[in-house]
This record gives sequence, structure tokens and C-alpha cells, in this order.
Amino acid sequence: MNDARTLAYINLFAILGAIPYLCELDPEAAKLIEGQQVSIGFSVKGGPEATLFIGGGKARMVPGTDRCQVKLPFASCEKFNGLIDGTVTPIPTKGFSKISFLLKRFTKLTDRLSAYLRPEPADLQDPEFFRISTTIMFHVIAEAIAQIANEDKVGQFSASNIVDGAAKLAIIDGPAATLLCRNHRLTAIHHAPEKYMAYMEFQGMHLARDLFDGNVNAIAAVGQGQVRIGGMISMIDNINRILDRVALYLA
Amino acid sequence: MKINDYSKSREALRRACNVIPSGIYGHQGPAEGCYTPIEAWPMFSSRAQGSYFWDLDGNRMIDYMCGYGPNILGYHDPDVDEAARRQREIADCVTVPTTKMIDFAELLVDTVACADWAFFAKNGNDVTTLAIMTARAHTHRKKIVFFKGYYHGVSPWTQKIDYSGVIEEDVMHNLYVDWNDFDALAELFDRYKGQIAAVIGQPYMHGNFADNVLPAEGFWQKVRKLCTDNETILIVDDVRAGWRIDLKGSDHYFGFEADLICFCKALANGYNVSALCGKDFLKNTVSGMSYTGSYWMSAVPFAAGIACIEKMKKLDLPRILNEKGKKLGDGMIAAGRKYGFDLHVTGMPSLFYLRLADDPSLMLHQEWIAECVKRGVFFTTHHNHFINYALSDEDIAETIAVAEEAFSIVRQRHPKED
Repeated sequence: MNDARTLAYINLFAILGAIPYLCELDPEAAKLIEGQQVSIGFSVKGGPEATLFIGGGKARMVPGTDRCQVKLPFASCEKFNGLIDGTVTPIPTKGFSKISFLLKRFTKLTDRLSAYLRPEPADLQDPEFFRISTTIMFHVIAEAIAQIANEDKVGQFSASNIVDGAAKLAIIDGPAATLLCRNHRLTAIHHAPEKYMAYMEFQGMHLARDLFDGNVNAIAAVGQGQVRIGGMISMIDNINRILDRVALYLA
Repeated sequence: MKINDYSKSREALRRACNVIPSGIYGHQGPAEGCYTPIEAWPMFSSRAQGSYFWDLDGNRMIDYMCGYGPNILGYHDPDVDEAARRQREIADCVTVPTTKMIDFAELLVDTVACADWAFFAKNGNDVTTLAIMTARAHTHRKKIVFFKGYYHGVSPWTQKIDYSGVIEEDVMHNLYVDWNDFDALAELFDRYKGQIAAVIGQPYMHGNFADNVLPAEGFWQKVRKLCTDNETILIVDDVRAGWRIDLKGSDHYFGFEADLICFCKALANGYNVSALCGKDFLKNTVSGMSYTGSYWMSAVPFAAGIACIEKMKKLDLPRILNEKGKKLGDGMIAAGRKYGFDLHVTGMPSLFYLRLADDPSLMLHQEWIAECVKRGVFFTTHHNHFINYALSDEDIAETIAVAEEAFSIVRQRHPKED
């Protein structure tokens, strides 16, 4: 039902791609990158390539590995996916001087990310932890939608029915994102668009969390006004179909 | 004008959500129905009469959805209801059918141009599914061609690979072409030579979120010939448009003959029956199929269907419905122009589709529709509408007045830029 290549794109751009938001939101993560200057390239044979740049107290993920200091090659999408689920230890091909960052701080960063993406129920009782976890999850999901639309066979079918333009995804009093469609390919932009063709807004962080966790159904929530949709609703309809597949990959 | 309050509807929806998935599921629910914003629409009705229904809060709605099509003569049409009442006193759901079934089949064969026989079921989906099974059984082929933007029901074969609960194998033999693109269709026939069991299409494209599109000149005739030349079954899904375009079938109106034609919705003015009609050469195939249901031979809907068709014939109903639809559409277009709006009214006037073309995102359109609904005119945002015989000139005038006020409200919110 899911394929390793799509999962690799999600793992790289949505999961590891959430490290920048983690570092913005979580003081512990911010501390881990404080004063650090490093770029880690992930190069997956037959799959995605991207570099995580860390510097100036910020992190950002950029496609391609041309400018990385540390390069982590993976022989296949399955091997790279193994890195994310902890079964594969990567061996860098360059940047050995930065290996201590990889072994210590990067590992701690990913542990911190896991804590927010797979939280213990007790941790979610803390309102600040809840806010950070839900915000990071929102960005992961928005990015995963774009990756599934572009790489997954069924996702591509849904995307083939999406017209060009921007769709706004937002949590009221929370994060927002833009899903930009051009020629049936989606790009996630992690802030609200100025102008948009369609929108889907969740009434609050708790509702969004319940939707992400599968405790509330989006159709039922639309009926009760907890999720607002409007504009070119066919865009939202098809994005929702892709959203259904996010759980398949991230479960 | 009075603005509707829907407090009781809202409360009922909350109740429904406790015990019914999504409260109101499917196209009659607020999500699939694209109620934007949901506060503008009533959720539940309390009664209906003629061209109106009343919601739980007592608001009278001029109903342009007609139960999504079935209400063609008006709710509680006296002739249809009387025929149903009389039949109910005699027999309805019995171990063996009554001869009302034969009467109804004979009437359909006499009425529908391409019909040599009729097979009855309950929903449109029942008969579109039977049509596909018949085509596959007759041709021993698997592939089915659909026109993009189609709706043929809810069985897995009618859905798409990305729909919840549908697996790849359900739709692996579905082929898709753009509406009116005969060259693409011919190319599919070349690519899948000898493999295409059927082409299924509604008489014209009434997809959502875009203007409805009538068949291009000669399109259906070319499709008909292509199917005949390739021994492919041509299925017309007249579930939605049937009886509002031509009582002999929408294929007859557009100048061709289907091999199979599917009816439901307006067939019995709301009484629950659907029919597959077809050409003689397919009758034996259907005879050999295992396809049935507990209520499919109930006599009351047959009696209602007979009364409904006889009345529609007597009235020459499609002509009247198209006249009413035209009057309404012209009035609303003129009302829109007064405030600088470009309202598109497309499709056949008897089942017109509305789109405010000033804004590609359709948000202005949604605002305008919502303002109409709040004032007692039941439109939907992105589905075609339906005209019924009970709709009076006064109803049309009231609708145009509501539409005009709604235009004025939307214009106030969005002043025209010079």
C-alpha cells in the first residue's frame, strides 16, 4: 500500500525537514545548534537528496547535496528509511571533522524530534509541549502531503485532479501552510499565502490534534463547523484524499 | 428580507452526530453538499409541499434541489400520491410481484425510445451497476470508458483509486477521457482494441465546480458509431437528467440511441424505484444474471411511477420545466448584471448549474449562494439544480428578488474596482 521511495521523500523532507521548526520552537533543540556551523547532505540512491544547513542558530533543509560538509550516502530508499526507524547507522563519505556533531548533537536533535512526533500521552498534558508537538506535526503533515502528491502513485492521481493555485491550510491561532499546485505537482510552503484559491482551517490546536491522531473525522468536523473549507473545494477534496494517505506512511 | 435562523437544525445535527457517522452522510450532508459556510443552510426538514420544504425551525425554503432530483411534479403531487395510496391499500412488498410491475415495464417500453425491456431496482447506483455488469457479461470484456467529471453512483467501480475504501483492483479497468474529446476516445479504442466493454456517460457533462457542458455538435453520433463498430455497449446514465430533458430519454433529445439507459430520481416523483431499460439484444444477457433485492418489486413505487410518467406525458413536462428554468436563469443573470456580476447559468434550464464567474476561486459565488439560502432559496454551491412543475411564477419572482438582494449584499462587501 505504501512504497519505500515515497516514504524516503517523506522521511527526508517532512520528518528531517521538520528540524528547522523544532529548532525554532523547542529551547533544548535551539541549544543543540547554538554556535554550530555544519551542513549534512543526505543522498539516497534512486531517491531524494537534500542538505540540512545549520548555522546562526537556525536550521534549514534545501534540496540537493552539492554544498554539504558531511555527506551521508544511502544505497537505497530502504536503507535511508532504516536511518529514520533506527535500524541503519549511516557512514559518511566526507566531512569526518564534523562527525562529532553527527554522532552527538544530530542524534539528540532527532531524539527530540521523535519525542514531539511520537509523544507520550503524559507529555501532551503540558500545554507548551502540546503546542510545539502539534505545530511540528502540522508542518510534517503539510510537507508529507506535497511529497505524497508528487511521488506516490495514488497521491499522483489525486494531484492530477488539483487545479493550479495555492491552497491555504491553517490552524486558527496556530501554524499555517500553503500547498502550491503547478501542473499537478505540489510544493509545501510553511507559511500562509497572501492569496489563495481554497482554504481549510481547523478551529484550534486541540481539534487539529484530534484530526491528526485520527480521533475526529474531517468530514464530520466540517459538518459541525470545526473545520472550515471554502473556495475551489475540489482542491481541498483532493488534498484531503492525499491527507488520508499520510497516515499510511507516518503510522 | 427575513434572515433564517437554524437553531433547531444545528441542535438536531449535534444529536445526529452522536449516533450517525458525520451526522448527515453523503451528498445531502453539509460536507459533501459543500455548505459554505454551513451556518447558511438548514440541516433537517420537517415537511414538504409543492416546490417548498420547511425546515425544523419553520423556515420555508423554495427548493431548487428537489431532493437532488426526484421531486419533478412537486412534493405530494395529488395524482401520484393518490395512485400510490390506492396501490398501498391493495399490496406492496409481497412474496411474488403484482402485475403493476408489468404495467410499469410496458409503459417504459412505450415511452422510452431505446427501450425494449425494463428491469427495476431502487437506486440509480443499482441500475448503473447492472448496466456495467450487463456490458461485461455480453461482451466478455473488462474495460469501461468514463468521461472525466462523471458521477455514476457509489459502488467501488464508480469511484476512483484515491477514494477511501476503494482498492486498485476495483478501478483497474476504468479508462478516462475528457468530455467532448472524441479523438481521445477513438485513441483509447485503438489502444485497447477488443477490450472495451462499455462507454458510460451522462447525456451532458454536469460535473461540479465548472460550468456544465452540452455535447458538441455530432459528438454523441460519433460515439454511437464508434461503439457500434467495435461491438462496445453504449450506456447512458440518465439518472440525474432523465425526464427533465426528453420523456423518450435524453439520448433521444440529443439524436442517438443508447444500448442501455439508466433511470431513477424523477421516475416516480420521489417514490423509491429505479429502472434499467435496454435494447432487445441485451435482454437475454440480463435474464441470465443474478441481480435482485428485497424491495425491488414493491408495487407502490410502480403505481407512483406509472402515474408520474402519465402526468409528465400529458403535460409535455420537459418543455414546461425548461421554460421555467429559462425564466429563472434570465432573471437572475439580469439581477447579477445590476450589481456588476457575471452569473453563468449553464446546462439545460430544467437542471441548471450556477456559477458566478467573477472570481476563479468561487468564494464570491459561495458568498452569494449562502446569502440566497439564508433568505429562503435553497441552492447548493457546486451542484446542478432542478426545476419542478409546482414551481410557480411567484416563486420564480421571489427567487429573483432574493438573488438580487444577495447580489447587493455581496457587492457591498466587495465594492467593484474601477
